[in-house]
Amino acid sequence: MNRSPQALPPLLEMKGVGKQYRGVAALKDIDFDLRRGEVHAILGENGAGKSTLVKILSGAVTPTQGEIRIEGQKVQIAGPALARRYGIAMVYQETSLVPSMTVAQNLYLGDEKFFNRLRGTYIDAQQFLQSLNFPVEPTATVQSLGTAKRQMVEIARAVRLKAKVIIFDEPTATLTPEEKHHLFALIDRLRRDQVSIIFISHALEEALEISDRITILRDGAHVVTDEAKAFSRETIIRHMVGRALSDDLYGRAGARRAPRPAGAKRLSVQNLSMQNLVRNTSFSVFAGQVTGIFGLVGSGRTETARIIAGVAKRDSFHGGDVRIDGRPVRYRTPRSAVGDGVVYVTEDRKGDGFFETMSVADNVYIGKISSRSSRGPFASRGESRELAARWTKTLNIRALNSDSRVIELSGGNQQKVVIAKGLVQSPRLVIFDEPTRGVDVGAIAEIHQLIGGLADDGLAVVVISSYLPEILNLSDRVLVARQGRIVEELSPDQATPEAVMFAAVY
Amino acid sequence: MIALTKALDRWFGRGEFSITVPPLDGAFRANDALEAAGVVLEVGAPDGLAVTSRGLLASCGRKLIGINDPAAPAASFDAEIGAVAGLPDGGAAVGLVDGRIVFLGGQHDSRTIAAHAEIRCITALAPAADGALIVANGSATYAAADWQRDLMAKRASGSVWRLAPDSGAWSRISGPLAFPYGLIDEGGAIVVSESWRCALTRISPGGRVRPQTVVEALPAYPSRLSRGADDAIWLALFAPRSQLVEFVLSERRFRERMMAEIDPAFWVAPCLRSGQSALEPIQQGGVKQLGVLKPWSPSRSYGLIARLDGSYRPTASLHSRAHGHRHGVTSCLEFEGRLYFTAKGDGVVAALADNGATQ
Repeated sequence: MNRSPQALPPLLEMKGVGKQYRGVAALKDIDFDLRRGEVHAILGENGAGKSTLVKILSGAVTPTQGEIRIEGQKVQIAGPALARRYGIAMVYQETSLVPSMTVAQNLYLGDEKFFNRLRGTYIDAQQFLQSLNFPVEPTATVQSLGTAKRQMVEIARAVRLKAKVIIFDEPTATLTPEEKHHLFALIDRLRRDQVSIIFISHALEEALEISDRITILRDGAHVVTDEAKAFSRETIIRHMVGRALSDDLYGRAGARRAPRPAGAKRLSVQNLSMQNLVRNTSFSVFAGQVTGIFGLVGSGRTETARIIAGVAKRDSFHGGDVRIDGRPVRYRTPRSAVGDGVVYVTEDRKGDGFFETMSVADNVYIGKISSRSSRGPFASRGESRELAARWTKTLNIRALNSDSRVIELSGGNQQKVVIAKGLVQSPRLVIFDEPTRGVDVGAIAEIHQLIGGLADDGLAVVVISSYLPEILNLSDRVLVARQGRIVEELSPDQATPEAVMFAAVY
Repeated sequence: MIALTKALDRWFGRGEFSITVPPLDGAFRANDALEAAGVVLEVGAPDGLAVTSRGLLASCGRKLIGINDPAAPAASFDAEIGAVAGLPDGGAAVGLVDGRIVFLGGQHDSRTIAAHAEIRCITALAPAADGALIVANGSATYAAADWQRDLMAKRASGSVWRLAPDSGAWSRISGPLAFPYGLIDEGGAIVVSESWRCALTRISPGGRVRPQTVVEALPAYPSRLSRGADDAIWLALFAPRSQLVEFVLSERRFRERMMAEIDPAFWVAPCLRSGQSALEPIQQGGVKQLGVLKPWSPSRSYGLIARLDGSYRPTASLHSRAHGHRHGVTSCLEFEGRLYFTAKGDGVVAALADNGATQ
């Protein structure tokens, strides 16, 4: 006779668990339980303690108080290896794969035999990935994959380990709607196989759609746990932020602001090409406006932005033209672009955005000294502190102090550090690539306000996002990218979700 | 060093040798506004427009035709008309292709001024504030009708002249220019549309100040300029730029052979109306729509009018796209609250209500 999950003892229990960093409580007296075969969403603003909670479960962080029980047995999860032995696997928001190794090697990492037959490994990996419906080539090196495919490999690795508990940290942030559909089908399959899922997402609709129960944390404390059907989007937000956040975070139908008028043409991209990732694409960006670029993963948006900012190089032969204020430019390094007032705020903040072991102040100051407005060959501690204080206040970066290491900050505050590092360079054109990926609703509102403010101040702003409501809310012009080129331009009144998505897909 | 850099740029196709075309986006975002314009006149190849005391006149071949009374031509000449302009006194100045200027109506009625030896390609006329007439001479080598040859020869031999109607004295203001095709007098300066540079250039009437680029990198070849309401300026653009033509322009020997051996109608060059013969060159390509790869070829002709603000920044545009029927727009003019334009490629004069301001 089958028993309902509610009737069974919880697979995993946390009682009174807490964690302190330098005397500051990141997690306070948390009670949490996970049933067999359930999808349990953990929601909360950045800094609410979600990541700390799941890091404790995955063995990356040791709690300073409380106890953990797995199948009724009290356990100490002293490290990731031990967590894996207890059947807990984690799919990280920023993937933890080895870039120089192949997909198959990453899948079997730590589980190699004494003698490995590479061909056999690839065949096994191919069959396994196909069974998950993941279109990833097992012989490809991870560094050659886009973010979405890396995420797929990460998920596949967790599934392969036959974990009893899989923790997904923002699994859908980089996925296309179709890939998301596949992921949800996979989660459903895992649930039927009695695997328990902890699901962390900032997309509240996804949490409501996929999860059985929802736990909400705020400021490191437990707020509520209940069946998912007991929540609505509004009640979740109210629990998360402790106040009724404006419902029109992403704009309400019929209540949209008038688009900003276009200023001078700041950027003109003409017939730009880079291998088969960017194909003869052309578009313009104007001062005083937010130009939103929407496209599915692989549509060449990020690559185009990286060429403009001097991070990547266009084709050597007839690679096209980039003009800043009418002047043709060809940046070989980002520093040259910064010198011309072009700043690119990366989508991969952990990989390219900041030095995680350095302080907030040092990171912001590095942004300053890489610009041409930096004076002299010597670093100034005073200037560094002054800049950090100013930008911490301007962007409302919540850190213990400016000497806090960036790795200790929440995702939203880390993103603000990356933005501060760009804005300190006095840009005239700012390209934000997925500016609110992995950022909570409170910080999203702040970042959106900041982006709008930059355009109001006359800067040319480009926002690249895979999240349609964000593009629709922020943009004065919407460009749609598909298969390496800009295929459509829509005014805000034309840019309905259907129109944008149609252009992006077909 | 510069020569080496240029040689490398030529080899790699970058810098001034990059074969690129500005996108039709922002103010130039494509629409079908010109298709919505009502046809006012269907006649051979209408070219210029002028507002006079007799109403709106359109030039077509050797005739000046009143928009309100097309059956009876307002004037006929013994040579083709190159350009026409309305004068502040209600008269009109007509520039003939042989270089003569003829005045109709107004204080210089029926006066003909002989051509200057260097002027054989009148493309635009504009009255100056001091009563003089500003004349654009598109090319020192070719006639106006031979504009494709001037482009393919990569000439920049045009000039702008000042004609004193009273004395008939000509004085050269500026040159060489890359096919000046439109003029607008600003009082202290003159703005010229240079077709082959795809730019608008400000020159001083005395010619003492160096020409200054006002707008550049236009996505099509500009022709005539006119003032509209609310300080707006209308700019007609008569043919689109394309990567294929830009490529041909970078290939000297190909162009020379093409000009020597092939009928101009079949050159790889912009034109006022394309798609009328199976022998025309096409640029082959493909576009994937709804998952189906379809053959595609960009048109060599197009219809385009741009609205510029007081500082010549494009703010809006009106289009007749590849499938449209208002190609080869050479003039546009606001008159009695409507925007009239000549689609020379399709042989129509058409008008848009509310000045096309809704675009």
